[in-house]
Amino acid sequence: MKRFVTTTVEVEGREETAVVEVPAFEPVPWGPEAALDTVGTRVRRLDALEKVTGRARYTHDVRLPGMLHARFVRAPIPAGRVSRLDLAHARALPGVRGVLTGADLPRIPWLEGEPLFASEIHYWGQPLAAVAADTEAIARDAVRLARVRCRPAPFRVDLPSGKDSVRTRHSRVTPPETRREERGNVAAALRDAAVAVTATYRVPVAIHQALETHGSVVHWDGDRVTVYDSTQAIFRVRNELAEHLGVGQQQVRVVTEYMGGGFGAKNSCGAYTVVAALLSKRTGRPVRCVWDRHEECVDAGHRPETVFRVTAAARRDGTLVALDVEAWIAMGVVGWPGGPGKIFQELYRCPNVRVVQHFWYGNVGGMEAFRGPFHTEGAFALESALDLLAKQLGIDPLELRRRNHAAEDPLKQRPFSSELLPACWDSIAQRIGWAAARKRKKATGRFVRGVGIASQTWGAAGGPPAYAVVRLNRDGTALVQTGTQDLGTGARTILAQIAAEALGLPLRDVRIVVGDTDAGPYAPNSWGSMTTASVGPAVRMAAEDAKRQLFEVAAEMLRAQPDQLKARRGRISVCGGAPSVPISKVTKTLGNIMIIGRGHRGPNPAGVTVHSFGAQAAEVEVDRATGQVRVLRIVAAHDCGRVVNPELAESQLHGGIILGLGYALFERLLTDPHLGRPLNLGLHEYKIPTYADIPEIDAKIISVADPVANHVGAKGLAEPPIIPTAPAIANAVFDAIGVQITELPLTPARVLAALSERR
Amino acid sequence: MRIRLTVNGRTQELDVEPRTSLLEALRDGLGLAGVKLGCDRGECGACTVLARGRPIYSCLALACETARVPLETIEGLAADGLHPVQAAFVAADALQCGFCTPGQILSVTALLRAHTRPDEPTIARAMAGNLCRCGTYPKILRAIRLAARRSLSNRPTVQPSDQ
Repeated sequence: MKRFVTTTVEVEGREETAVVEVPAFEPVPWGPEAALDTVGTRVRRLDALEKVTGRARYTHDVRLPGMLHARFVRAPIPAGRVSRLDLAHARALPGVRGVLTGADLPRIPWLEGEPLFASEIHYWGQPLAAVAADTEAIARDAVRLARVRCRPAPFRVDLPSGKDSVRTRHSRVTPPETRREERGNVAAALRDAAVAVTATYRVPVAIHQALETHGSVVHWDGDRVTVYDSTQAIFRVRNELAEHLGVGQQQVRVVTEYMGGGFGAKNSCGAYTVVAALLSKRTGRPVRCVWDRHEECVDAGHRPETVFRVTAAARRDGTLVALDVEAWIAMGVVGWPGGPGKIFQELYRCPNVRVVQHFWYGNVGGMEAFRGPFHTEGAFALESALDLLAKQLGIDPLELRRRNHAAEDPLKQRPFSSELLPACWDSIAQRIGWAAARKRKKATGRFVRGVGIASQTWGAAGGPPAYAVVRLNRDGTALVQTGTQDLGTGARTILAQIAAEALGLPLRDVRIVVGDTDAGPYAPNSWGSMTTASVGPAVRMAAEDAKRQLFEVAAEMLRAQPDQLKARRGRISVCGGAPSVPISKVTKTLGNIMIIGRGHRGPNPAGVTVHSFGAQAAEVEVDRATGQVRVLRIVAAHDCGRVVNPELAESQLHGGIILGLGYALFERLLTDPHLGRPLNLGLHEYKIPTYADIPEIDAKIISVADPVANHVGAKGLAEPPIIPTAPAIANAVFDAIGVQITELPLTPARVLAALSERR
Repeated sequence: MRIRLTVNGRTQELDVEPRTSLLEALRDGLGLAGVKLGCDRGECGACTVLARGRPIYSCLALACETARVPLETIEGLAADGLHPVQAAFVAADALQCGFCTPGQILSVTALLRAHTRPDEPTIARAMAGNLCRCGTYPKILRAIRLAARRSLSNRPTVQPSDQ
């Protein structure tokens, strides 16, 4: 059998030709009935002790001897050209050791091919130059001494309205782009539809605000470039940095031992990494370049502001006949045009769906994926439109969704590997007391309550390539090496659990190393909720490969055939027989012969769609005097296949729900349309949820293993829980006050405006 | 200028500038990396330390101002094994990325020293200054209750709140 096969694979919904590595053997899938000891249990996070004692070392904490501190000089206008950049005073400041401008750099393609530190300015805060100094304070002083003169140009920071978009003059790198997709015949379906509703929905710019800001510490020492980076992608950073610097990938090592949150914003090699490397080369000293909170708000990416025009049409019985959506997406200066229209095509069964998406590029920092990118925005518009339709039809919103349940993938018209959305609906309806809550007569006093629901679906297959190595030590313990990284999701713990399970070792005998490109083979970015489903099977296969070799030795000792053996709790025994031997005895027999297992992620199953599903219900209380919305309760049920660690899975659900709650109620980055600069930088001005905002959260995963998806049985989990949260809250407010608010966040002013509109 | 800081029961001398924040002095001067810098503007609480037992944002205090104040950081909390609050955080999985965790733990420690059985509004008030972007708040609440229960059950008699 050929090991490397060229075939057609699906990447982000597109069919592409790619080389696929066919696994030498495929472990028997752990189905729902598999009896597992470690996988599925609530073991403690492996790095919990380091984190509670303050010993965990993050990129921010790396201190190397002689280390310098670098800071950026940034553009003081949103568009134009630098006419003069004078760094003489900065350079002369005692303690300044290096300065870097566009003239000092090799040509590094940055904004859509324009070089890093180019003199064309496309957004306020764009990096123009950098200084390195003995201390952070001196570097900051030096930046203040930089003199930047610019010739301003016309710009645009907000979404243009209507035809305006074509004629607006603005400095931009990428032209606007429109994508149209249609299945069925929407125009005809709308003509014949019994009921149709149309509304315009709007979502704001939201920013990630990880507590550890973006940053790197780089030491260019001889021919070695060692990078400590706060990243979701050690291998991608290594490969991109090597290319930017013109060095071999073997010269670059990227380390991310602990990482203070990413949420999608740390998926590639940053300007801070490149600049720290070049300054390190220039000065011969390690250089730390870490963004401050304001830079984090301006230059770290965002969830784009989006306007949706949605028409939803149905028969009298609630059967959807058409979904027609046009969306305008404010990407910023660059971005990844995924698209918020996709969830319209894949969440419910609807024969006629038209999606027109205008990706508009303007003069603010670039868009970056943000937990559940595009689906989170699209879900607000879709799920709000469905509640409007339900009201028009006089059908209960949950019942309307049930009647349009997609038992098959409606976009690709093929089965799902597993799909438990109806069970999610049942679960939340029962736990929140849906029927009674909806029938409850609305109070007429100051405080009114309401309940709302929303659903989600998310591509959750993961996929190749991803690799792992498992080494068995002489004492029968094991080392797992893989080039993934743990952002705080618990990947370290989950992957160790999978290895322990497959090896038949107790978890304490398994050590795992992640977050170091020199210490583990390739694993993909930690994005797209794909780590457990991608790296998990690679780790399992590596462990199974090591176990197969171990069984060859043990078979002789036990006088049995290797395929009759099983390993559990540190011992190898003959299936159905009495004799057994400790794993440590087998490895000891081998002396210094080391068993090394190699594993990789095989191709995804053909002909099926692997998605996660879920539904959430929210109960809110609205103060009709102040317009304040208080979320009282969120009930969530999600289907993500096998759960490797229920405790960590629950933490992921909480995290997604709380991010979604901030998006629903108060998060919104404002940029002044006349000055072109952001107005509410920081964590006071840009408010994120804190204790006092947190409702009672009852989050459950109701699924079992999905052996079709992969042999571990897991589907993705991290992003799905944010998707339905904001629409569930908005629909609850609709239920409470009887008017739909069509714009996030649901601020008191908007609630009061909606209430006065009703009167 | 040369100052003396008393941190975790130990007095140490170090050189600082008049403008040096307590946060910088602890992290860069004394190498106490458990004190995190999240915003440097008194917004996030990642830099929380205890000054005379009360939580403060070390990014908003000047190092030279705190020279005579007994300070506690996360590094000083675990003596013989984990502090009960740290143990409760581990047991409740009250952390994800862990970056805000030292500050959260110190705020909880101060809260539970002042209130043996804090009610919800007291907890919300005491903890509102410690942000967590991963959204571990429900589990931190669980950890607070767990730690409160454990410290109560460790006492010979249940004492009334000493607020």
